[in-house]
Amino acid sequence: MSTQEEQPEAEGELEVVDDGVDYDALADLLGDKVLDRETHTNADGFVIRADEVQDVLSTLKEEAGFDHLSCVSAQEYENRFESIYHLTKYDDRTQELSIVVPTSRENPVSESASPVYSTANWHEREAYDLVGVQYQNHPNLRRILLPDTWQGHPLGLDYDQNKPQVVTFEANKNPLEESHLGDGEDSDTMFLNIGPHHPATHGVLHLETVLDGEQVADVNPDIGYLHRCEEQMAQNGTYRYQIMPYPDRWDYASAGLLNEWAYARVAEDMADIDVPEYAQVIRTMGAELCRIASHMLALGTFCLDVYGDFTAIFMYAMQDRETVQNILEDLTGQRMMFNYFRLGGVVWDLPEPREEFFGTIRDFLDDLPPKLDDYHDLITENEIFQSRCIDTGYLDPEVAKDYGVTGPVARGSGVDYDIRRDDPYGYYDKLDWDVVTEDGGDNYARLLVRMREVEQSARIIEQCVDLLEDWPEDEREIQSNVPRTLKPDEDTESYRAVEGAKGELGIYMRSDGTEKPARFKIRSPCFSNLSVLHEMSEGEMIADLVATLGSLDVILGEVDR
Amino acid sequence: MSTPLPDFITNLIGIGGPLGDYLGAFLGAFLVANFMLITTALAGPWAKRKITAAFTDRIAVNRVGPFGLLIIVADAVRLLSKELVVPEGVDRPAWDLAPIVMAASALLGFAVIPMGSIFGINLQLADPETGLVYVFAVASIASLGLVMGGYASNNKFSLLGGLRAVAQNLAYEIPLVVTAASVVLFTGTLQMSAIVDVQVNTTLAVIGGVRIPAWFAFVNPFAFVLFVAANVAEVGRNPFDTPEAPTEIVAGYQTEYSSVYFVLFYLGEFIHIFLGGAIIATLFLGGPDGPVLPGFVWFNIKIWAVFLFTQWLRSAVPRVRIDQLIEIGWKGMLVLSFANLVLTAVIVGVMNV
Repeated sequence: MSTQEEQPEAEGELEVVDDGVDYDALADLLGDKVLDRETHTNADGFVIRADEVQDVLSTLKEEAGFDHLSCVSAQEYENRFESIYHLTKYDDRTQELSIVVPTSRENPVSESASPVYSTANWHEREAYDLVGVQYQNHPNLRRILLPDTWQGHPLGLDYDQNKPQVVTFEANKNPLEESHLGDGEDSDTMFLNIGPHHPATHGVLHLETVLDGEQVADVNPDIGYLHRCEEQMAQNGTYRYQIMPYPDRWDYASAGLLNEWAYARVAEDMADIDVPEYAQVIRTMGAELCRIASHMLALGTFCLDVYGDFTAIFMYAMQDRETVQNILEDLTGQRMMFNYFRLGGVVWDLPEPREEFFGTIRDFLDDLPPKLDDYHDLITENEIFQSRCIDTGYLDPEVAKDYGVTGPVARGSGVDYDIRRDDPYGYYDKLDWDVVTEDGGDNYARLLVRMREVEQSARIIEQCVDLLEDWPEDEREIQSNVPRTLKPDEDTESYRAVEGAKGELGIYMRSDGTEKPARFKIRSPCFSNLSVLHEMSEGEMIADLVATLGSLDVILGEVDR
Repeated sequence: MSTPLPDFITNLIGIGGPLGDYLGAFLGAFLVANFMLITTALAGPWAKRKITAAFTDRIAVNRVGPFGLLIIVADAVRLLSKELVVPEGVDRPAWDLAPIVMAASALLGFAVIPMGSIFGINLQLADPETGLVYVFAVASIASLGLVMGGYASNNKFSLLGGLRAVAQNLAYEIPLVVTAASVVLFTGTLQMSAIVDVQVNTTLAVIGGVRIPAWFAFVNPFAFVLFVAANVAEVGRNPFDTPEAPTEIVAGYQTEYSSVYFVLFYLGEFIHIFLGGAIIATLFLGGPDGPVLPGFVWFNIKIWAVFLFTQWLRSAVPRVRIDQLIEIGWKGMLVLSFANLVLTAVIVGVMNV
């Protein structure tokens, strides 16, 4: 059966098979472990028993090739808890499958998937933290976003948010006391808190580090300092207008339009909204501008980590990002928090006079290649830089897949995975561009991937500008006709992802028939990418730990949401 | 010849005997130290910002006073009026002494630097026969300040920074001194003024009627490059700024210092850069030698050139990792500096025969 499953993929008949997955064959593979079948908008869901999670997932991973656990969404219903494992494949993103694991409300215990997929470790901790599902055999089932002393699970149904969190001083006196693993009279290692306030953590990240001399013996990211209840806020907003401003605030380092697209894609998918082609081109152009701005920031801050001061490269990168932000300001009216996408299109057309706007973009695109050459002269061809970055922070492709790593980080390890191409949306499949990969797997390769992706984004933008310039005036439809109040059918569920600046940015939504989502779960690429940090930096020097963290390019607003 | 500064002051105040000598020496030292402090004040809050801004396409300070120069006053007031935070558990006398040791050790070095003469006054405070050894001896007291500050701060980042600083200074002090020794082989003396005289009075070549003096940077460029590189490591600037390494260990040994103590550390570092520049100028660039302008002006041009060089490195060169730094020091610089010493010895020997 597994061979049948992989046949179409091997022969590249993707366009023939609708959705790409033969769910009946998969159901046969799992046999009577499948209790029930559901249909989600993106994929079919198999309902399984809570004590057979590992069994089912390892069968699917080994025999059906589902090597990418994209996300774990947990939620509470009136009568049960439910964990959904969103599976897909690195080789073929269109093949998706949801594994639904219901548990009773009285005893919400479910088997952990972390022995099968390492990425489940953090995702299940989050599900435990926010929703309250207990995962059996989980190696480290602690809270991840909220403090250890938090009482209750905020996304659970009977959580009372007006109840004050009374924590005695004694209980929270030194939350790190137990984790001072390295310290002690007769210990050879030293425990070091890097962050939450540290020049190199790119926000409020806390790394609990055990050092052996200058070498990193163990590193454990402690996140949640920037948790702003984004999921819950989205659940309190109406689909049509009130949710769209929030995505801008996840990856706030100028990747706003990419994030908005994640919500637009899932909501349009659920409510079956078409987007006019003209708006798709504008979206594609705007999103790629955001990608350039975001990669420029990543480039600058990574060099900041390696070089040590606010040096020339950081400022140059900020200047180039500034140019992009000016263009985006012309387009959207905002520099960072755009709120430009609408369900079914974009909020307004390109600014007038159009020629001037296109001229600005073309000037920027013309200036870009020599600037990138400058960066190569300054950075990638510098011998000291190479000795710092080549072969440090190595991430093995298999480890990357195991931890659900996506985006430039995965592509730097040679994982050829880009949702823009593998599960096309917008106008990407009609444009001519390449997915960039590097095989190095080290800090240097990740930097090169970002720099080359900027070139590709510029190619996409150029084609979009060409298209927009010649677009007939009477066909410039920026929004399709969308009802003022959206109420998707009850129990519609969908998980959709887009290629954000840092990787696969996915959203799981469930409708309960009202105008607000019943569950809104964000799959943040930074969250998964950060979880692999210890695999990359253990055994390296502390300087390389910092550089590796920089090359992961995590935005804590997106990690903590 | 011009009068040395202490003698000039003694004559000026007209008190004879040991008291006059003492006063002259004291006031002379006071003047030189203050001059260096002013230079540092210009370099730290103002010139550094302007230079970095020029490298990074920015404008930097331009609001307070002409060219933003009054930022120096503003910054001094700001830094001195900050609270001196003494963290719990610091090792008190050592923690307080570290910044003083840092700043003082660098200032002491200027006692023997021939800074050239202006208006007939020779601005060299003292000219002992062991001048060169003295400079290296007092300059390396700074390492003690670093390790005291790092260890006494009771902070893990400071400890790491202090350890790094010591490892680095050990690794680079030796090539520095050995390279300087190759200059001594040429001059046959450790006296700073004599080293300058040898460079000024020897002619390397005459090109088109212009006499090129035998500055050791021209005579032995290899030693010059080695010395400049070792000096950058010695003063802890990019690419060798691992002891501070802001993105790795916050600020290294000076993490816990604030207010006046921080100012002293900061001063110490900048005076060290200038002292490094002064040693380079004396050993390799003919000290205060130069055409037209007075010697003292040339001396300042040279130490500022070295300062500019360190700022250029800071803006453009990545930092090496601590293990790479130690490797470069022990496996590269040390070997090269000894090779240079042997080569110089052979050449000098052949020339003298």
